[in-house]
Amino acid sequence: MKLEVTGLTKCYGKTRALDGLSLAVESSRVLVLIGPSGGGKSTLLRVLGGLEIPDAGTVKINAHPLLPDAAALQAYRRRNGFLFQQFNLFPHLTARRNIALPLEKVHGHSPADAHEMAEQALARFSLLDHADKLPAQLSGGQQQRVGIARAVARPPEILFLDEPTSALDPEMTAEVLELIQELAEAGQNIILSTHEMGFARAVADQVAFVAAGKIEEVSPPASLFGAPQSALCQRFLSRVMRY
Amino acid sequence: MTRRQLIANVFVALALVALAGWLFTAAFAMLGTRTDWSKAWEYRETLWRGWLVTLQISLAALLGSIFFGLLFMLGQRSPLVVVRWTCRAFLEFVRDTPLLVHLLFGYFVIFAPLISRPLGEQGFDDKLIIGVLLLSVFEGAYLGEILRGGVESIPRTQWESARAVGFSPFQVYRYVIFPQALRRVLPAMAGLFVSLIKDSSLLNVIGVAEYFYNTKNFISRSYAGLEGYVPLALGYLILTLPVAWLSHWLEKRFRHET
Repeated sequence: MKLEVTGLTKCYGKTRALDGLSLAVESSRVLVLIGPSGGGKSTLLRVLGGLEIPDAGTVKINAHPLLPDAAALQAYRRRNGFLFQQFNLFPHLTARRNIALPLEKVHGHSPADAHEMAEQALARFSLLDHADKLPAQLSGGQQQRVGIARAVARPPEILFLDEPTSALDPEMTAEVLELIQELAEAGQNIILSTHEMGFARAVADQVAFVAAGKIEEVSPPASLFGAPQSALCQRFLSRVMRY
Repeated sequence: MTRRQLIANVFVALALVALAGWLFTAAFAMLGTRTDWSKAWEYRETLWRGWLVTLQISLAALLGSIFFGLLFMLGQRSPLVVVRWTCRAFLEFVRDTPLLVHLLFGYFVIFAPLISRPLGEQGFDDKLIIGVLLLSVFEGAYLGEILRGGVESIPRTQWESARAVGFSPFQVYRYVIFPQALRRVLPAMAGLFVSLIKDSSLLNVIGVAEYFYNTKNFISRSYAGLEGYVPLALGYLILTLPVAWLSHWLEKRFRHET
């Protein structure tokens, strides 16, 4: 995918979450956003995912501009997938129903088709045993995997993942990261933010360092992690890599 | 139960029975032999008709209050500030003034002069219709607040996830927010519906021939006392108890689910 972002600004009250952020990526399949908490990763991802309308600036994805219009954004969200840190699933529905309901109501599949597609999505990530469980009966890792299964049950153009493992313990983190890597290797377009540097390095083809509402640096993982150019990025990496 | 608790329970139970027994004996002694249940039997048709009207009012106002409740809830969540404030002010007014005043003012001052005649000409009972409308608005104001509380108690992430999977604003409410919110507010809603049934008795002030109105007439015509009040209480219990039971049952069912 090709990404052109110019002058993106988004304020929440007095905080400038995005401060004239610009980003140009010629072609990338897996773009990973790293950077300090509160630096604007989530907000950028939410704007790119069509969940938030920026105060100023433009976004073009594959040469198509993102229009600041509710109906256009809804159509855009329907083509893509989005996963949050946690509580993605609807707690009153079983895992299977969580996947089947949007297929039925958003994408217009018949109930039987939706059921079948949900079944396949669950089977793909070996979650079939949990199909009839409610989210509360699943572990955090399983919940995130069902969340991903829902997002990709109908292959999305781009899959957005906002710190998908931040709320998980190390073991569950590994189980979710493995799944994301699988998707990446299968050719899925992904934009994700994470604090897992090792994972970012392994899975990304472009890494962007976001701090204070701006992009400080974008480059392939080998050069960004090997020889970061910006001082902020150097300091951030030396801190997070120390332990 | 420990031994001490057992003794305490027995003791309190005995005291309560004694108190109730004394109250009833004293009351019946005053009434003496004047209690005559055949009077109630004579008026059974009027009472039965009144009870049926109360049942109709309750059902109609129940539906009406759901309609107004949803309207007020959505009004308060409107993106237009004018709509939000108007809704807020109206709800505040309705909730802070007595239903009796709404009925008298609403019927005699507002609606009767406006639509009584056309309704009558169409063959409708104007008092009944206006009464149900006013009752629906009153209970709807409370229901609107209950629903708003329920909807606002659903965490932000649920709204976001629902939008993220591509639901339209209507679908977000229909498939994600309402099913969760309703479970949370069910006990409060059942309580409100029980109130609604009881409040329907106030419609007697505008002359709707419902259960209380007919019983009151029966009492004043036949000088009945107990013969009127006991069936009155029972008649309302028959309507309210099923609602209360249903809500307890639903509550239990949903508790197991989540």
